[in-house]
Formats: sequence, C-alpha cells, structure tokens
Amino acid sequence: MVEERKDHLWKIAQEAEERIDDLTKTGASPLGLDVGTAKVVVSRRKGKEIESGTELNAFIPVPYSKFTETILGQNDIAYYRDGEELVIYGSATERFANMFNAECRRPMADGLLNPREKRAMPVLEAILTNMVPKPRTAGETLAFSVPAAIPGREAALTYHEATLRGFFQSQGYKPVAINEGLAVIFSELEDHNFTGIGISCGGGMCNVTLAFLSIPSILLGIGKGGDYIDSAVGAVVNEHATRVKSMKEEGVDLSRQPKDKFERALRIYYEELIETLVEGLTKQLSSADKLPRTDRPIPIVLSGGTSKPRGFKDIFEKALRTRTLPIQIAEVRMAKDPLTATARGALIAAMYEK
Amino acid sequence: MEPLARSAVGVSGGPRDRGDEFVVALEAVSRGIRDPVAKLKYIRGSLNRYRTLNRCVRAIPLRGFRRQVYRWLSLEGLGPLLVSDPFGAAPPVELRTRASRYASRAALASFTLLAAAGATLAAWHLSRPAPMVKAAAPAALPAAVETLPTLPAALAPAAVWLVEKGEGSEQYSNGLRIDLSHAVDGEPRRYHVFAEHGGLLPELHDQPVGLLFHTSESDIWPLEASFNEPLRDSSQRLLRYLQRNRTYHYLVDRFGRVFRVVNEDSKANHAGHAVWANDGRVYLSLNNAFLGVSFESRWEGGKALPITQAQLAAGRNLTEYLRQRYDISASMCLAHGLASVNPRKHLIGHHMDWSRGFPWAAFGLPDQYQTVAPAVALFGFGYDEDFLKVLAEPWEGVRGGERELAGEAVRRGVTVDQVRRDRQGLYDLWIAAQANAEKGVDRALTNQGPVRPAGNVG
Repeated sequence: MVEERKDHLWKIAQEAEERIDDLTKTGASPLGLDVGTAKVVVSRRKGKEIESGTELNAFIPVPYSKFTETILGQNDIAYYRDGEELVIYGSATERFANMFNAECRRPMADGLLNPREKRAMPVLEAILTNMVPKPRTAGETLAFSVPAAIPGREAALTYHEATLRGFFQSQGYKPVAINEGLAVIFSELEDHNFTGIGISCGGGMCNVTLAFLSIPSILLGIGKGGDYIDSAVGAVVNEHATRVKSMKEEGVDLSRQPKDKFERALRIYYEELIETLVEGLTKQLSSADKLPRTDRPIPIVLSGGTSKPRGFKDIFEKALRTRTLPIQIAEVRMAKDPLTATARGALIAAMYEK
Repeated sequence: MEPLARSAVGVSGGPRDRGDEFVVALEAVSRGIRDPVAKLKYIRGSLNRYRTLNRCVRAIPLRGFRRQVYRWLSLEGLGPLLVSDPFGAAPPVELRTRASRYASRAALASFTLLAAAGATLAAWHLSRPAPMVKAAAPAALPAAVETLPTLPAALAPAAVWLVEKGEGSEQYSNGLRIDLSHAVDGEPRRYHVFAEHGGLLPELHDQPVGLLFHTSESDIWPLEASFNEPLRDSSQRLLRYLQRNRTYHYLVDRFGRVFRVVNEDSKANHAGHAVWANDGRVYLSLNNAFLGVSFESRWEGGKALPITQAQLAAGRNLTEYLRQRYDISASMCLAHGLASVNPRKHLIGHHMDWSRGFPWAAFGLPDQYQTVAPAVALFGFGYDEDFLKVLAEPWEGVRGGERELAGEAVRRGVTVDQVRRDRQGLYDLWIAAQANAEKGVDRALTNQGPVRPAGNVG
C-alpha cells in the first residue's frame, strides 16, 4: 500500500508525550498553583494527562468540643484546633456556613492575603499543605499565581507574594510567581504563540494581561470579582453572600431574561462588573505609550469561576463592541476549562522554569 | 468574524524594520512547535538574546551614539518585549538600579566609539534568532547548505567498502559511519517498472534504483551549545517516530550522524505517490524503487532550512556509498519535491521538500531542477495556486515539461489541455495497472507461489 507519511511528521505528536514520560521516569513533578481569593487550584502531570484539584479558600471557626472534633474527624472534614476553637477549612466550609447561617471567612481578599484576617496565613498554609505534597526532590519547581497590582496596593502585593514564596520554599520547592492573566495566556493561547489578552475573573478581583510572544505588556487588576457580586446581590435580596454564592453556583444564565429579583440583581451586577472590566482594559490600552507592533488581530480569553455563567461572553463582547481599542481583537473565547486555566498555565511556567 | 474593536491607531503601518523581521521570523518558527513548553522555551530563548544585546547597548556611555545604535538595531520596536520580569510578577529584589546603570556607563566611558561599534556589531550578529529564519528571497536561491571551505587535495579511496561492522554501527572506507541502533525491517521491496512507450513491464524488481532526498519536517533548534538538549532530544524523538512508521531508510541528523532506520532490502514509506522517469523507464510510487534519505531539516517559506556542514559531509558520503553499492546513476538521485504528486488532482508539488535549494553540485550530482519533470511531460500534471504561493515560480524542469506538452499539442493539432487530459488518463491507467500488479505480488508472496505480473497496459 502506498502511504504518505510526511504530513504526520510536522510536528511529531508524540514528542510532548514522550517528554512527559521522561518527566515521569525521572520522578520530576513540577506544580502549577492558582492561589485565588475564592479557590485554590493545583495542576500537575499525571502520566500523560494534566490533573487538577480544587479546594475552597475559606474557613469557619466553630467552638471546640470533643464531640465536634470527633464528628469532623469521622467525616474527613479538614480542620485544625486553635485554642478553644476548631477551624474548619476548605470545601466543607460552605456547608457549615449554610448550616449555621453564618458567613464563610476568607484568608484572602481582593486577590491578596487578607490583612484584616488574623487567621489568614495559618488557614492558607493548612489548605496549601493539604493540596501540595512535599516535593520528591528538593528544589522542585512550583509556579504560583499572583494578581496584578491594583493601584495603591503594590506593597500589599509584594507582601503577599513574598509570604507565599517563603512558605513554598520552606516546603522544599523552588517557587516561581506568575501573573494570573499571563498564566491564562500560557494555558489557552499556545496556538497564537502566547500573544493575546488573558482575563481571569476570580472571586476577589479580575486580572487582565496583554502579552506579546509570551511577554506581558500590560497588567491590570480590577478590584471587583465574584465576591463583589455576591455581597452586592446579597444586600439587595437580603441574603448572606455565602448563600448567594451557593445559589449562583447552582447555575446562572445571563443569556435569558431574569425571572425574579435575585436573577435581576445578578444580571445588574454582572453587567456592572463586565463594564468596569472592559472600561479598565480600554483605558489601560489607550494610555499605554509602548505597545508592541502587531499586524494581526489578537484574541481575548476569558477564564475564572466568575466568567462561567452562560451569556457572560456575550455581554463582554457587547461591551467591547461599544469601545475603540488601539489594537484589533480577533475573537473572544472562553477558556477550555475556566476553573483550571490559571493553574494549568502556571504548570506550563513551572515546566518551563525547570 | 468581524473584528470586535476597531483599531484606533495604525499599529502596523510603515515599512518593516529589523525588529519586525525578527518577530515575524520568530513567530514563523514557533508556530510549528506544538508543545507549549518547548514553544515557550524557544520564544523566550530568542528574546533573551535580544535582551542581552539591549543591556550591551544601554551600557554605551555616549547618549547620542547610544540612540543611534538603538535605532540601527531596531531595539526601540522590541522595547516592550525586553522586560526584566517575564512572568509579570516582580522579582523579590530589584538589583539593577538606575544608579548602578549610570555607574556602569561612567566606567565604560573610556571605551572608544570604534570599540563600542565593534561590540555592537558582534552582539547584533549574536542576536539573530536562528540562521534558518532569514526572510525568504523570492527568486533564485543559493543551495541551502552552509558553505564548506575548500579542502586541500587528499587521498580518496577508489571504492567504498565496509571497513568494520560493530554491534551498533558500520564503518565505511570513505568515512561514512552508519548508526544501526534504530534499524528495523519493513515490508520486502517488490516493484514493477513501466516502459515509457510500452506500459507495465513484467519483471519484478527487488533492488533500489534511485535515491530520494527528503527533509524531516521536524523541529529545528538553533545550532548552538545552549540548545544542545533540545537538539539531541528532538533527533531522538524523530528517530523513534521514523522507526515506528518505517518512514525513511536513512536519517542524517544535524550533527551529521547517519542513522539507518529501515533496512535497505525493505521498502520505506517515504515517497508515496511520486513519479520519475529515466532512460525510457518510468517509476510510479517510489517507495519501493527508491531509497529515502532524509536530512533533519524543514521545508519552510519556499525553501529548505539550511543543513549543517556536518550533514552535508555525511550526506555526501552516504550518497556515494549507496550509489556504488546499488549502481545508482546520478540521474536517479533526486529531491522528493521534484517527484511528489497528487494523483487524484493530477498536480505536482504534493510535497515540496527540496523542490528548491538542494546542493546538487556538492553531492556530485547533476542539477535535477533542470531535468524535465516526468509528471508534467509524460502525464500532463499541472500545479495550482497553492504551489505558486510557495514557490512563486516552478523549477525549470516543469517549464521543460510544459514545452513538451505544447510541442505535442502542435504536432497533433489539438489544445494543450487536450494533451494534458490524454496523458492524465494514461497515468490513471498505469496506476491502476500497478495496483493490480501489486495485488498479484501480494497474493504470490502469501501463497509462496510463482509470481505472475499483470500484462502490459499501453
């Protein structure tokens, strides 16, 4: 039989898989970590696949009693004891918060360690320790996401980054910090040679990065995210933000007309968030004095839990069409998996740094 | 899709400067790298070199001259790509302060302009992304190979013979060393030949009669020590792939190592539908009749990326050995792009590797670009716009074939299109006859009985 095999050579599909095999054989295990306000996501290679795990970045303290501790232990609920309190953290937190009709507490706020929360670092360390195993060999690379600085909060970002870096170093890793939006570009825009705009809409804030050939040109932090929507909607409908978040996560459809007050409020605050985001992007691009020259329209990728509702992309595109940007936008697309895009991008950064 | 936001300022207007060319070239290469980590390494590696250059220029003490050098090297255009913080997160401690920069400038003030210019020139030379991504020249190209210095006259063996055979290699008298670590058997070689004026000939052949030169179409990394690991690894991965698919008989890697992939008595899947003719004999589908020799390189932008000196020397020795061993005439050594066809559309240039720029003279071979293209002259094959987009102008042998078709049209008093249709019909008949003959061979091999080739098809 006559066969034409050359087409398959360019480029060898197995190459990446074999390199991963090599990683596996040598025991190397770089990690990518998205340390977000609402969730922490870790990505790592498992064989030839990427596996991701997610944990809620929240906690709730309950009074200590032997009985409560036993119940928590029996149900595999993550907690630690702090004096006369048991601090429940991670995924079980929301369940307990709803059970006690209380608010979840967050180690982080607005993308950074929460300066008003005294338990911020102990809880975050507990969550990270659960998610990130000790490295097999000292000095294994771990890339973790950091947000872009919000004007006036640069010092807080430096503290946040240095604190996390120190923690990962103490665990035996070689930590590398990567901007959240850039991580999205790494995971989603390989087909555009890492050129485009990566947007991560998280719980505490939205991060926007414009990169050319993988090099970040514009970094923008918007201090609004899913938490803002939760608390704003909660105030209108008289519900705890945690409860609003739970209802929101049951499924929001922004593409259809709102049916009730709750949906109307959600729609209003989502639109406001997107307007703020697009306006911020427009201003930042328009005021940038040095943008790399490019002939081609560039893509925008949306990621993060806050961008997940159906219709989010359409509202974003609508907002974009009303503005004039100094660069042409080819398309707006959703990340393949909006919840893990940042962590997967961080994993690429870790493998690059290795 | 309609662009979502209009461009307010012309971001790409004006002529391209060298910074733009660098970026275009970098993008062209990286577009072919599929693995995100490998792609990131390549892009960042190339940009790092410009970053180093940028630092050199910033150290030039004289402001006016520094500005001139910046302009000359087009660093301004690349400025946004030369950030010190490539992950968008501030490094823990910023070592490079403005004060130290001034201090370094002051320290360097004693350098003369000439020295600075010399250093800059050298730096610019170093900064180019890779030798293979220069802008493509549209017309006649030099042979795509690095220039070899003329060697002093030295003794050459009268013949090529096997000097020594070890467990994993063969050493030949002309210096050729063949690595056997990846050698595998393929299907046995069996093929028929057509007589130009007679059709399918009954004899069944099992010896190769020609050499077909290919490019591997794989990742090509800059030939520098800092890229040693990807250079080595990509060759190994390529070899494993070729071995699995029985793709070529030989691969010459970028360090000039010659690997036997498919044993010479087997066919390899290197030529697919390809047509060649010589001395009144016509060969269709050259997997069987020709040995495939591939150079680890890539056909891109209308030419092959340059092969290395080591590849040239090794390829020359390999060609000499194969030609001698199988008594292959020079006119039967050709490039894949010259023979590859799309049989369904009756088009040449299905694959185009080496359809320009093969260093024939350095291999002691005639310039096959001048040889009349058999697919055109005998079978009326044409080419389409995609072909012209890549090559701009077909090689001379295609024009020769077209002249023959036109001459026949005049002699027969018909249009050239009519001649083409007739000849394409002949090709279809011959291909069908060959397929029937191959089935006969397959049956015979299965039954271990005598081979009865199909009859002639005129």
